[in-house]
Amino acid sequence: MANRANRHAARTEDSDNTINYVQCDGLAVMKMVKHCHEESSNMDLAQGALLGLVVDKCLEITNCFPFPKSGDETMDEEMYQLTVMRRLRRVNVDHLHVGWYQSSDVGNSLSMALLESQYHYQTSIEESVVVVYDTQKSSRGFLCLKAYRLTPQAIQMYKDGDFTPEAFRTLKVGYENLFAEIPIVIKNSPLTNIMMSELNELLPEDKGHNFLDLGTATVLENQMRSLIERVDELYQEAVRYNKYQQVVFKQDTEKHRALAKLAAENAVRTSKGEPTVPEEEVIKQFRPMTAPNRLTATITSGQINTHAQHIAQFCSQSLAKLFITESLQIAKEAKETK
Amino acid sequence: MSRFFANGSESESESSEEEIQATNFNKASAFQFSDDEEEVKRVVRSTKEKRYENLTSIIKTIRNHKKIKDIPNTLSSFEDLTRAYQKALPVISKEENGITPRFYIRCLAELEDFINEVWEDREGRKNLSKNNSKSLGTLRQKVRKYIKDFEDDLSRFREAPDQESEAEDEVVALESDGGDAGDDSDAGVKPTEAVPKAVKSAPAKAAPADDDDSDDSIDWDSDSESETESSDDENQYQNMRERFLKRTTEKEEKDDDKRKDKRKEQKTKIRKRAEDDEDGEWETVVKGHVVEKPKMFEKDAEIDVPLVLAKLLEIMSARGKKRTDRRLQIDLLFELRDISDQHNLGTAVSVKIHFNIISAIYDYNQKISEPMKLEHWALLLEVMQSMMKLLLANADIIMSESVAEEHEEYATSPFYVRGCPLAAVERLDDEFVKLLKECDPHSNDYVSRLKDEVNVVKTIELVLQYFERSGTNNERCRIYLRKIEHLYYKFDPEVLKKKRGELPATTSTSVDVMDKLCKFIYAKDDTDRIRTRAILAHIYHHAMHDNWFQARDLVLMSHLQDNIDAADPATRILYNRMMANLGLCAFRQGNVKDAHHCLVDLMVTGKPKELLAQGLLPQRQHERSAEQEKIEKQRQMPFHMHINLELLECVYLVSAMLLEIPYIAAHEFDARRRMISKTFYQQLRSSERQSLVGPPESMREHVVAAAKAMRCGNWQACANFIVNKKMNTKVWDLFYESDRVREMLTKFIKEESLRTYLFTYSNVYTSISIPSLAQMYELPVPKVHSIISKMIINEELMASLDDPSETVGMHRSEPSRLQALAMQFVDKVTNLVDVNEKVFDMKQGNFFQRGNMGNRGDRGYNRNQNNQGGNWLGQRRDRNNRNRNQRGHHKNNQDRQQQQQQQVQTIDEE
Repeated sequence: MANRANRHAARTEDSDNTINYVQCDGLAVMKMVKHCHEESSNMDLAQGALLGLVVDKCLEITNCFPFPKSGDETMDEEMYQLTVMRRLRRVNVDHLHVGWYQSSDVGNSLSMALLESQYHYQTSIEESVVVVYDTQKSSRGFLCLKAYRLTPQAIQMYKDGDFTPEAFRTLKVGYENLFAEIPIVIKNSPLTNIMMSELNELLPEDKGHNFLDLGTATVLENQMRSLIERVDELYQEAVRYNKYQQVVFKQDTEKHRALAKLAAENAVRTSKGEPTVPEEEVIKQFRPMTAPNRLTATITSGQINTHAQHIAQFCSQSLAKLFITESLQIAKEAKETK
Repeated sequence: MSRFFANGSESESESSEEEIQATNFNKASAFQFSDDEEEVKRVVRSTKEKRYENLTSIIKTIRNHKKIKDIPNTLSSFEDLTRAYQKALPVISKEENGITPRFYIRCLAELEDFINEVWEDREGRKNLSKNNSKSLGTLRQKVRKYIKDFEDDLSRFREAPDQESEAEDEVVALESDGGDAGDDSDAGVKPTEAVPKAVKSAPAKAAPADDDDSDDSIDWDSDSESETESSDDENQYQNMRERFLKRTTEKEEKDDDKRKDKRKEQKTKIRKRAEDDEDGEWETVVKGHVVEKPKMFEKDAEIDVPLVLAKLLEIMSARGKKRTDRRLQIDLLFELRDISDQHNLGTAVSVKIHFNIISAIYDYNQKISEPMKLEHWALLLEVMQSMMKLLLANADIIMSESVAEEHEEYATSPFYVRGCPLAAVERLDDEFVKLLKECDPHSNDYVSRLKDEVNVVKTIELVLQYFERSGTNNERCRIYLRKIEHLYYKFDPEVLKKKRGELPATTSTSVDVMDKLCKFIYAKDDTDRIRTRAILAHIYHHAMHDNWFQARDLVLMSHLQDNIDAADPATRILYNRMMANLGLCAFRQGNVKDAHHCLVDLMVTGKPKELLAQGLLPQRQHERSAEQEKIEKQRQMPFHMHINLELLECVYLVSAMLLEIPYIAAHEFDARRRMISKTFYQQLRSSERQSLVGPPESMREHVVAAAKAMRCGNWQACANFIVNKKMNTKVWDLFYESDRVREMLTKFIKEESLRTYLFTYSNVYTSISIPSLAQMYELPVPKVHSIISKMIINEELMASLDDPSETVGMHRSEPSRLQALAMQFVDKVTNLVDVNEKVFDMKQGNFFQRGNMGNRGDRGYNRNQNNQGGNWLGQRRDRNNRNRNQRGHHKNNQDRQQQQQQQVQTIDEE
């Protein structure tokens, strides 16, 4: 439900964008999932490239391949990507680079690094997206696949390299419009669908409840922990900003005082017929303070936002699960009593 | 020497004398010659020439470095050059009327060109190594700065640059001007030089070796014939060397400045040797005198005290002089002793001579930091002991510092002798420590050296007896402290036996001895240092013998912790050692908390090794100078007094584990949780960060693994990790009663695991039966009962005991983990909101000001603010009893958010 609402919101939000939704092939999804589960640990992330093409306002992702693990110095990553794509073209697979994917832990993926790489992607390949796959949550039975793009404002801001509060205000960038989430649709070929339903038939009756895992506590705990961490960070940022404000305020009052004093002196001078001292000299004495970088704070806010959304979503899903289990249980008991 | 006496007939000695003289003549002439050589050089070479040579040699090295583009070396050579030039400046101004020498300018010009060339070559510059490019930058800057002073000269030079050979000639000409052997140009000489150098090095090496040999042999005089022959050889070599030296150019010499220095040293050494030889000869005559003396006096039949004393004075007056052969002095003194013994001149004289021998032996070694030779050491011990025995056997001899020289009395009883056996024995002890430090602690050498410890202690004991008989309190304190310092670190198993009643209470143990000595010092000492050290040693000794309460009380009563920082390093080291041992003792006695407390200061720095003076940490980037290192090395403890560091660390970590793990479990969600032990925490953390944890190998890994097991309350695994074969050999077997310690440890692990278990899992139980807990933890039921009661009393566990059913009923008062997290989260969010409010406050302040200034007088806005202020107070109050009233708070929060939105809107409007 929440998903659908999100999707709706996203669609209305960036209707002017190049892409309205992402259509992902089942195969590509499976490949991503496999790679992420195999290679991501809490230390490093699994990353890979997405291949596909744009068909009017819809980005079709038909294939993907993983990037080699970082740390291997001898490997030239660019060369590797190019070779892989060339070879894929030879076997007639889509080879257009349309973005990249990354594994994440408990949804803290929207980081500075992600912003940076996505900026480079989007400036070189306009339609590129980043797909974030949450391994931990998926292992709890919720497939969590999200596609993000940078909004034009965010790109503009990053291009300027100006993260002062003024820049944020003029560009109207906030945490909610730094990244735009793009809905993902997973599409399978009819043949796959047929096989899926067949498999569904084959599944024994009492084995199908795996997805009704009720052990929600750990996921929620982890989410809460990272949420707390993020809030702490934001708190630090706010303190920093507050300090900056105080300094600026102090300086301002001093400046005002100096200007007032100057004005009084000038008034005396003009009465004596002497030339007045220009105001610039006083102003020059007060060097403007460097405003703190707001980007980190914005990103942290964004992360908090996603965390909150995740938690809300997770809770509703868990509730749904509980209800399903309840009804199942009742049905089972009724069956037994019969 | 004795051999010499044995076959020392007159005629023989005479003949040998002749020979010596003959050889000596040769020798002398040879040396004379070489000395002259040196003199000539010194006189002829003017300062100008010397400086110029220096400059040219540096210029040459610069050129060589440039050729291979060795920029860092060029840089350093350039710095040398500027320095050398600075030195040469007065000469230049005098000799050349201040005109900078041509070759110097030329070198600067070349250097500049070279730098520019390298700098311009961007491609090549990129390929330079980091080091190279860095020094290139500095070199360029330095040269640029430097040549500014020579701009005129340089421009003149560049107008008429001369050829390289010319410049070289100039230099050479300058050299030959000086009238010295600098006639070869460098290129020509080099290859020829190499050969003689090689040849040279062999004899040069051989010569000092010979030297040493002769030095070491004791009966050096008896076979003077062969000896002189060999020394003659040396001289030949020496001459040969001189000849080679003559041939070498000045320039080469400058190049190998260092080598020359070394050579000079050798030369001086040899010369000294020669002097010694001469001395020796002279002394042999004296010795002959001594040998003859009995005969002489036999004729007169009169060798009396004053004569011997005069002789003694004569010998000792040579003391400290440069030309004195110190070994010979010792030998002479021994002879004198024999003679005085032969003639029964009385013990006082004998004591005096003994004492002088001792000081002569101490004198032998001129460097304080170096240990004395082993033979001397043996001699010293023997003499010292015999002197003390003499002193003790004859109660009428009074030996003291306070006896003035003129009041010495040797003839009639009571005898007065000037001297201080205390200082001698203290020095003896110091020398012993030095000797020990010299040996590799893992070799047999060390063991054999350590055997002397008994003798040293014996000597100290003798001196102690002497001072107990006659001596001031201060002296007694000093000698007691010496004894204590040999006693305190030794473990005496009898103490424990006595404590258990296996031995009768009357047996005297080391603890009793310590008690006696220390109490005397406490009562009589007037210097703080001795008392402090005595207390420290006393505590150490108590701790070692498991007298925990005595040791602890002594620590507490002495208030050592307060002023130990003001003490000297040696005392501080002793303090650290004491603390370490106290910690170990507390641990053995089962006082885990105290053990941790004692050890934490030592361990938290991460360098207990240094704090206990048991080895230096590897040097990191010139942290300390060579001098400092020397001092620190002197402070090191000899190996046999070391405290096992692994044991120390293990005890520390285990006690930290026993404290920290239940604490972590109890305060899992406490935001203000503090760490009990930082080091332990770090270990735990680093192990948690590892993606793959293998089975434990080292002691630390064992403890960490055990800690992890304890966290789940798995006492069995925990105990297995702490007490197993590996850990036994590594750590626990080092304790005297290791089985008892292990038992104690297991008991503690059980208890603390139980506590951890209750903390961690109490929220999944509604009630637990005590017998089943007792079964789980293999503890007696009353014990479990008492542990749980304690926890309940301390309000660590919200539960109640139900006696009839023997269960613990849990009161679900503590929140679940998720709830706790949520609470923590609320805390954080309120913090954040607070700060945000402050941020808005500032904004308001600004607006307010502006509003006041008349730009905008918005009444509604002001009202809004008032409104908010009122609300705020309410919130503040709310926050205080937030825990009780969560819901209301949330509501308030929501209100606030709405308000903030409002505010944002107002701001936006503005």
